[in-house]
Amino acid sequence: MSTELLQAIAASNEWWALGPELTLACGALALLVIELISPKEQHRFIPHLASMALGVVLVGVVMNFGKTWGEEELFGGLVRLSVPGQIARIFFLLSSLLVCFLATICLPRARAPRVEFYHIVLVVTAALMLLAQSNHFVMFFVALETVTIGFYILVSYYRERVLSLEAGLKYLVLGALSSAILLFGIVLLYGAVGRVEQGGIVHTGFEYGTVLNFLRENPDNFLATAGALLVIGGVAFKIGAFPFQIWVPDVYQGAPTPVTAFLAVSSKAAGFAVLLTLVHRVFSPLQAVLVPVLSLLAATTIIFGNLAALKQHNTKRLMGLSGVSHAGYLLIGVVASLTVPWAAGAVWFYLFTYLLASMAVFGVMAYVAGPDDSGEELDHYGRLARERPFLGAVLAVGVGSLAGIPPLAGFMGKLLLFVAAFQAHLYGLLVVAVIGVVISIFYYFGWIRAAWFESWSPPAPGAVPAPRPLPAGPTFIGVITLAALTLATVLLGFYQQPLTSWLLE
Amino acid sequence: MMTPFLAAAPVYGLPSYLLVSALLFAIGFFGVLLRKNTLVIYMCLELMLLASTLALVAFSKFNGTLDGNVFVFFVLTIAAAEVAVGLAIIVALFRQRHTVQVEELNQLKH
Repeated sequence: MSTELLQAIAASNEWWALGPELTLACGALALLVIELISPKEQHRFIPHLASMALGVVLVGVVMNFGKTWGEEELFGGLVRLSVPGQIARIFFLLSSLLVCFLATICLPRARAPRVEFYHIVLVVTAALMLLAQSNHFVMFFVALETVTIGFYILVSYYRERVLSLEAGLKYLVLGALSSAILLFGIVLLYGAVGRVEQGGIVHTGFEYGTVLNFLRENPDNFLATAGALLVIGGVAFKIGAFPFQIWVPDVYQGAPTPVTAFLAVSSKAAGFAVLLTLVHRVFSPLQAVLVPVLSLLAATTIIFGNLAALKQHNTKRLMGLSGVSHAGYLLIGVVASLTVPWAAGAVWFYLFTYLLASMAVFGVMAYVAGPDDSGEELDHYGRLARERPFLGAVLAVGVGSLAGIPPLAGFMGKLLLFVAAFQAHLYGLLVVAVIGVVISIFYYFGWIRAAWFESWSPPAPGAVPAPRPLPAGPTFIGVITLAALTLATVLLGFYQQPLTSWLLE
Repeated sequence: MMTPFLAAAPVYGLPSYLLVSALLFAIGFFGVLLRKNTLVIYMCLELMLLASTLALVAFSKFNGTLDGNVFVFFVLTIAAAEVAVGLAIIVALFRQRHTVQVEELNQLKH
């Protein structure tokens, strides 16, 4: 280990492979510098700079998709470039772009400082992209913690508000708990694998490949199995699977709406990207243990998420708990992908449809909410379709897609997952999933009904309810973005060929 | 085979270190679940991270690879970042609510 290794890295141009992440990190720093040196009246342009940085990187990644870097391990095995990694990059960039759009609606209204928000979003996006491509447990842990600590700040971003801070504290305590559990799992794996010498190079249990080889030879090593289960438990926290979902409703409700969307979409997708990598490339010899554990997680997650969402009136808690049940459907896809290889693509397809529909719904929520976006109830949607028909239509399409109504994209996502589960002979899980979908239609339609159909409710005794202000009308960019999301959701329901041929190959 | 606990020059094996580490981890874990004061919960979280660190160093020594020792520095850095953000949140919350007891921080329930 001397300068020769560093020289070799410098000569091989490996840094180019991490261009998107490096650009975002530099862009994040540039935002802070621009805030320092530019006059105050021009600070309102800074959010647009952040969106532009994300957009440029997104275009760059899409243009270079699959061109330069195949299945290669870089930086001594820390990072592995692969097609799923590229898909994850595109997903996270798209999601962060939409989060920035939501933030331009919500942050000015809350009179919160703005530049730091976009700074943290860019850093978290870069870390998410690295997380999905990591090939080494040290890289994995550091990227994951960068994401998590960024989210602690984002969740408690409205620091004048008790609800936001309380959500931040809850996320902090439970997130740190899950990180500690995950770290202990990594340590156990490291200890179990020990020292492996191959061709004069010493490998350790931090490298995915070494762990995989070790598990192939000793599939019933107790220490390694315990470590693997602890790591899976830590990841299950990120996706909000059943015993670890306890933070979801409170944190989703207290966090600012853009952050709720970021958590619901990117954080969950990161969990699944990591879970797919771990299950396929590290822990695959442990299938005898993993399949029952993941199946149990999936079934309980679907049932719990749907039943808990039934009685929610707060829209953010509803999105959170229904998101828990979506995590359950996706877990079925992960289990199925162990026997049916294309199921991993189906998981990504589902995540993309979830991204489009959720962002449309969160966009409507951002416009409907007043300055306090934690107390938004279903009743507040009472006059939405009459006063803002456009927002009502976007909401109906988004919620319908989340519920899986046939012509919309969400239905195709569920169908692909269920076909994969059928091919993998997971009949029990399929029954649970179908029951879950039926329950979910009930509460999703309650939301659409609240927005589209007048309902008479008895006036509360003694108190005249304060009239809700008219929902803000979307700006030009808002209309374009929401219309694009809605259109994509409808189109993907009829014509999936481009996305499926790309994801399922 | 048990190592004599108070021998003249005790040489503890890997299992002893792992036992201490697992105990520390368990104390931290149950502390997070059972204690009521946010600051104490926070100390318990750090205890869990440090328990992992102890196991890491022990494994590193007995496996004969240095990677574990290096990882400790990463873990410590992350723990420091977590403390910085966490204490800031706790202080901001204390300014608003004048309490750090978890049972009084329950406004997010419907």
